[in-house]
Amino acid sequence: MTQDRRQFLVNGWKVGGALLIGAAGYTAYEALRPLAGGAGGGELSAGSVDDFAGDSATYFPEGRLYVVKAKGDLLALSQKCPHLGCQVPFCESSGRFECPCHGSIFDIGGEYITGPSPRGMDRYPITVKGGAVVVDTGSLEAGPDRGARKYFSKPKGPSCIEGG
Amino acid sequence: MTDTTRDGLEPAAATTTHGLVGRVQRSDWWRSMFRHPQLDTPRGRALQSFSNFFLHIYPVKVPARVLRLRYSFRLGFIAAVLFGILTVTGVYLMFVYTPSPSAAYGDMQHLKTSVGFGQLIRNVHRWSAHLMVLVIALHMVRVFYAGAYKKPREFNWVIGVVLLLVTLAFSFTGYLLPWDQLSYWAVTVGTNLVHYVPVLGGTLQDLLIGGDQIGPSTLLRFYALHVAVLPALLTVVLAVHIWRVRKDGFAVRRPNVGAFEEAATTTATSAPAGAPPDLYGGRSRLLGVVDRESVTAEDRAVDDTVFTWPHLVARHVVVALGVAALVLGLGVAFAAPLRGLANPNVTPEPSKAPWYFSGLQELLSHFDPLVAGILVPMGIVLVLVVLPYIDRNPATEARNRKVAVLVFTGLVVAAVVLTIVGTLFRGPGWKFVAPWTHLYLEL
Repeated sequence: MTQDRRQFLVNGWKVGGALLIGAAGYTAYEALRPLAGGAGGGELSAGSVDDFAGDSATYFPEGRLYVVKAKGDLLALSQKCPHLGCQVPFCESSGRFECPCHGSIFDIGGEYITGPSPRGMDRYPITVKGGAVVVDTGSLEAGPDRGARKYFSKPKGPSCIEGG
Repeated sequence: MTDTTRDGLEPAAATTTHGLVGRVQRSDWWRSMFRHPQLDTPRGRALQSFSNFFLHIYPVKVPARVLRLRYSFRLGFIAAVLFGILTVTGVYLMFVYTPSPSAAYGDMQHLKTSVGFGQLIRNVHRWSAHLMVLVIALHMVRVFYAGAYKKPREFNWVIGVVLLLVTLAFSFTGYLLPWDQLSYWAVTVGTNLVHYVPVLGGTLQDLLIGGDQIGPSTLLRFYALHVAVLPALLTVVLAVHIWRVRKDGFAVRRPNVGAFEEAATTTATSAPAGAPPDLYGGRSRLLGVVDRESVTAEDRAVDDTVFTWPHLVARHVVVALGVAALVLGLGVAFAAPLRGLANPNVTPEPSKAPWYFSGLQELLSHFDPLVAGILVPMGIVLVLVVLPYIDRNPATEARNRKVAVLVFTGLVVAAVVLTIVGTLFRGPGWKFVAPWTHLYLEL
């Protein structure tokens, strides 16, 4: 490889410039990336198994999740809509989760019924230790596919979303 | 015609001010600031433009038709004025505002209750921001229909698209800052769109909001973007945009005035049959069929330009004052909304994105998020960027570019319809609600 001094210097400037851009980009990444341990991650104690009656949803704001009992199963459902992240309230009158943002509706088990959501509500692993319900908020699992019908049931009453 | 009456100045019109003012103006320290006396002669005006930093943004002379309102509707200039108003009001707001979830909402209330004219400043800032998005969109539509993105101005159109995106980023980052329910959930919906970007989506969303939900780090980085990164970016890109307006040449129908254009040798070949030759930059205008007025005016100079100062500058001052009066009036009449304190655990019904994204939100309710939230908007931006390079037709009149005009008009109509439906016709659960029964509109 032959290059005269002038070409060597020109290339040196180019390499230096590229390094500078790389350093600036990495610094920006370091400044912007989420700090570790910033959100959730711990175990949430959700009380006793006996607290959950048949087909109910109990809200735990500290974990941003619901613990539901659906057809005998205990599930921990993230309140965050898989569509665009709105908080999905539980509608007492219909017995379903109904998202006010874009109208996605989920059954008591968080399975997709209708609306633009790509899947059912995301879940946290739930364990029962000696009668106490514990939710592991550190590992979120993607919700069931749209076709799931394990917990499906007819709405108990009118929808909470106006006109729905 | 116009130019002779406008700029046919007699040397005798030069001002020779007597008395104290005249002595001051002739003093050394005055002349150190203002290099040239305000001679009201063509030469005097040119010298003023050359020697004045602020006037040098303009060319010394512009074609007379630039003065007509219909030439541009002053839309680009109005957008620049709004940016100025937003900068001034934004600096006022920065003196009061703290970018933290515990303080931001309280500061919004302090603006209203404790700071003199605080609420008015905030109102003007908000309405100016909305207007800026609207005016820039209209500016782009106007430039398209005028065919002003064509050679040699292709790249300035691309710069304009960048400016539109920067303005949207401005508006979106600013939307979060009041930290109320309206801003919190609009930004939640907006940032969750990023998640649908293939492969990089999750990382991008993390970098954008700095966590798994909108929180303190989101507010801080949106603030930093809003008051430092984006202003610097917009200022530099806008400067290039305005500079290129000059360098690429004014006045659409004279393609050979651009500084980078080769000499007008292609005139005869590029003009469609039957088109008036002067429209294509030919030098044969006096040989064409001319009416009597033109013949009698034959001996006047071919130069149809007028001095920017004062003709264009005076018009710009009037427009700027009008824009200022408009946003001030809006600020007095309508208060910027402030809902309850942001609550991550309660989504209000309905949750709408800002109006310029509500067309996207409407699209999202019909299609898969990857399609409606990512592919369609990115496709639109891509088409806008490459438009001047794929549309090689040199014609600027609608009848000679039917396809481009039809396609673009279709896109504009679709965008307007989607935006109107999303903004005015949607209620809780994104259900269809006629605005005359209940209007769910928040700006």
